[in-house]
Amino acid sequence: MTKQNNSDEERIILEDIESRLSSFGKDRWNLIPILQMIQTRHHYLPADAIRMVANYLDIAACEVYGVATFYNQFRFNPPGKHPIQVCLGTACHVSGGDIILENFERKLGIREGETTEDREFSLERVACVGCCALAPVAVVDKIVHGRMAPSKVEGLLLGFQIEKEKQERAKRSDESNL
Amino acid sequence: MNPIYNQQVEQAFDAIRQEAISKTKAAKNEDIPEITIGKATCGLAAGALDTESAFKEALAEQGIQARMKSVGCIGHCYAEPIVIIDHPASGFPPIFYHQVTPGKARMLVKSFLLDHDPLFEHLLGAMRENEMIPQVLDFPRFQFEKRIVMEQSGFIDPGKIEEYIARGGYSQLVKVLQSDPEEIVQGVKRSGLRGRGGAGFLTGAKWEFVSRAEGKEKVIICNGDEGDPGAYMDRTILESNPHQLLEGMAICAYAVGAGRAIVYIRAEYPLAVQTITQAIQQAEALGLLGKNILGSSFDLEVVVFQGSGAFVCGEETALIKSIEGERGMPQHRPPYPAQSGLWGMPTVINNVKTFSSIPAIVRNGPEWFSEIGTKTSPGTAIFSVVGDVVHPGLIEIPMGVTLRHLIFDVCGGIPKKKGFKAVQIGGPSGGCIPEALLDTPVDFDALNHVGAMMGSGGMVIMDEDTCMVNVARYFLDFTQKESCGKCTFCRIGTHHLLRILDRITKGEGRETDLEQLETLSQDIKRGSLCGLGRTAPNPILTALRYFRDEFEAHIFEKRCPACMCRQLTAYYIDLDKCARGCDACVGSCPVEAIFTTKDRKKGIDQTLCVKCGECMTACPEEYSAVKKVSPPDLAPIVERPDK
Amino acid sequence: MITLTIDNREITAKEGATLLQVCLDHDIYIPHLCYLEGMEHAAASCRLCFVEIEGVAGPVTSCTTIVKEGMVVKTDTEVVRHLQRASLQLLLSVHHVDCAHCPANRKCALQDMAKFLKVGLKPKYLEQHLKEPEIDQGHPYLDYYPNRCVLCGRCVLVCKNSHDRPFLTFAKRGLDTVISFYEEDRAEMPCDECLACVEICPVSALMKRKVG
Repeated sequence: MTKQNNSDEERIILEDIESRLSSFGKDRWNLIPILQMIQTRHHYLPADAIRMVANYLDIAACEVYGVATFYNQFRFNPPGKHPIQVCLGTACHVSGGDIILENFERKLGIREGETTEDREFSLERVACVGCCALAPVAVVDKIVHGRMAPSKVEGLLLGFQIEKEKQERAKRSDESNL
Repeated sequence: MNPIYNQQVEQAFDAIRQEAISKTKAAKNEDIPEITIGKATCGLAAGALDTESAFKEALAEQGIQARMKSVGCIGHCYAEPIVIIDHPASGFPPIFYHQVTPGKARMLVKSFLLDHDPLFEHLLGAMRENEMIPQVLDFPRFQFEKRIVMEQSGFIDPGKIEEYIARGGYSQLVKVLQSDPEEIVQGVKRSGLRGRGGAGFLTGAKWEFVSRAEGKEKVIICNGDEGDPGAYMDRTILESNPHQLLEGMAICAYAVGAGRAIVYIRAEYPLAVQTITQAIQQAEALGLLGKNILGSSFDLEVVVFQGSGAFVCGEETALIKSIEGERGMPQHRPPYPAQSGLWGMPTVINNVKTFSSIPAIVRNGPEWFSEIGTKTSPGTAIFSVVGDVVHPGLIEIPMGVTLRHLIFDVCGGIPKKKGFKAVQIGGPSGGCIPEALLDTPVDFDALNHVGAMMGSGGMVIMDEDTCMVNVARYFLDFTQKESCGKCTFCRIGTHHLLRILDRITKGEGRETDLEQLETLSQDIKRGSLCGLGRTAPNPILTALRYFRDEFEAHIFEKRCPACMCRQLTAYYIDLDKCARGCDACVGSCPVEAIFTTKDRKKGIDQTLCVKCGECMTACPEEYSAVKKVSPPDLAPIVERPDK
Repeated sequence: MITLTIDNREITAKEGATLLQVCLDHDIYIPHLCYLEGMEHAAASCRLCFVEIEGVAGPVTSCTTIVKEGMVVKTDTEVVRHLQRASLQLLLSVHHVDCAHCPANRKCALQDMAKFLKVGLKPKYLEQHLKEPEIDQGHPYLDYYPNRCVLCGRCVLVCKNSHDRPFLTFAKRGLDTVISFYEEDRAEMPCDECLACVEICPVSALMKRKVG
């Protein structure tokens, strides 16, 4: 992705955030809900967004940053298209959640907390999604997959690959039809 | 102090109740079958949505009219997706089906709804007594349970306030509005209810403190920041019966004189947030929350606040900081929140289960409640029993039941004929309890006494293949990552504990490590600022107390007795048992570490093996040729033939 | 005024004063890092200022204890010293001990406490853990040394007290916690002139950057 593209992308994000800020009050206790709104809509907090929020609430930018970095929920870089979360709650740990995480790491060639180079996948560990009776559990694209196994990891990723190839083929045939 | 309202509130409510009853009656058309599906998070994860669409498609194909109903969680997580079919025309009572896959759903539509054959091989039981099918209520699970908080979970649609009202919901609030707030506080105090969030502080005493506190504005907070890995009862209650919680909160607000209430829910529970938000809107629309409740001058504004993923925010002072828009770091107490809490106001903070117990206490009286359970811990406890157990799920039982009874009688014991090793109670703040202490009753004090903690009620059962050093390491890894970093002991101390345990599980333990672990644990317990730090060493201390020999095996023999620590374990294939020509393990291996020997048997390349255990699962049971050993050098060496 | 007994000495103190302040005012030294005179709510985060009080179970932090009539306090018991040593050793285990090259040498709070508590600067059983990188130069005027920092928070507090919109904050969490800045308009930053944070730092973790 070129630099130009990147800043275009960020500009659109910032415009979106600006248009939504006014629906929040200006008391300090709106800080986390605002950050959550940005995280949910755009999946990360761009640097300029932090300044924008600070100005809106009339607090120091460093305070916004201090709060945002405290909580697990907030990211400071754009994540992959398909976020993958591997649960490492107690029940998942005992039934081999770390092995599931390792399999994702191996298959995607990234470590926990990272995003693949093509920005398709990002991988992280979470502490208990509350589906302990189905351990081990992974959340892919917000869908909870229970009773995971290394073979299921492969199956899930294969599914994405097939889907992507299908889309590319469709795109190609569309183009050739033109 | 709130005024006492007259019968006008009752008349206002009566109209609402009548409408709710007629609405639910109209919905339940006796002539057509009703299909109820559990759609809380566990159900969804097990595939409830696929099951639901399979039902819908099959109904359309067969041209059958039926009513689809969504409910929350009934607590029988092992049986998800759960479906209850009420088909009066068939002559059968409502039937409970478990693990209903889309395929089963299609079969049920055809066989049961069309041909009146309920498929005996797929049902779990009937929902009421009859002569044809055993009743589920006679199963040990239902027999031993006593449901107060979860009474209606899994039976009502959490998205429809009229179902809660039609079953008597909100009438306790109406009753309370006509009595003296002080009387309510004293009643809750007399009931002996202790906070279900973990520490077990007397709820009524907390309310009394806030009701008598100076200050014009007061606030109540429901702590739904359920962070203990392995505990999910708060999520279930929020998703399955949100109105019972809201009614409990409204009663509390009236009793202590608060006009604002906040439901704090952790970010990882999107469905819970959605359900409770919708419930608040519905209650406001009927005038049961918001301004001038039921025409009285009692106002209660309820808002939802989402946590942002910090375990420490379960600690009340940290939770308050995070609502205030700050870093969620615990503060020194006193002042307690009851004196000066959110925005400096006197604040009641109670757990989801605590508030949800309130309507039942008001309905049946404090004396009724205090007679359930034990003398010092009255009422019921909800446990999420997970791990190596036959019937995992949520269980609500009277306090005082023994662990043995709970694990073996109610939850069916350990699967695969394996032996019991330990039960971990109370999550990262709790401890592991060995077999010898299984006759310990579950109540606040008895669990503290054996070094564990009631905590939020997470219970993880571990079989003989679980390494207790590894489990202790797991919990320290968790607390160390979740330490807020404010105070020295927790920030740096837990890091060192984790490093030592890390070393031990890798076979690099030192002779001085056990003493170091003990000293450091005691220091952290004594010196930390908040409950997170003060309880963080509990998993280590209980593991050292009850399973010291396992630590010693790791340190002195470089051996993991349970073959769980991967650096100390190796897999190999027993050539005497391996079948020629079977390739099951080869295909299962994610790293191509399994090769074929000259006589067409299999071997594992130890340099490539990542010890995931897939081959062991894949190897057909009649061969069971894949073995695990510790220390790893005990694995026989099989040469890989040259290609 | 109230009267209390500290280490067998009868002492009169102002009502509402913290025990730590009363001790310090009477030349009874109690190791401490995060406490600042006049602060409204003690952070109680360094976990050093422990004392024992008759009738109270276990040691308590003196910065959070308000003096009471008739209180009997002991500042030098075995339990207290053990906890203080443990806390100091933990701090030293994540501290880059390089006194010879450190500007705080001889005026360093850690050195003083180590001497007072008779603790070696290199804890024997605890493995050293240091952060990367050694210096954070994100601030236009200041250098921050995370491996010197004890996270006492004095700098964050004085910054907050001196400016409506502070320029310093705690960032991240747990063992990764650091003091941090956020890139702001350089022209609007008074840091070059203020330097309150640099002056208050007990271990020279914040330094004015040398230019040229």
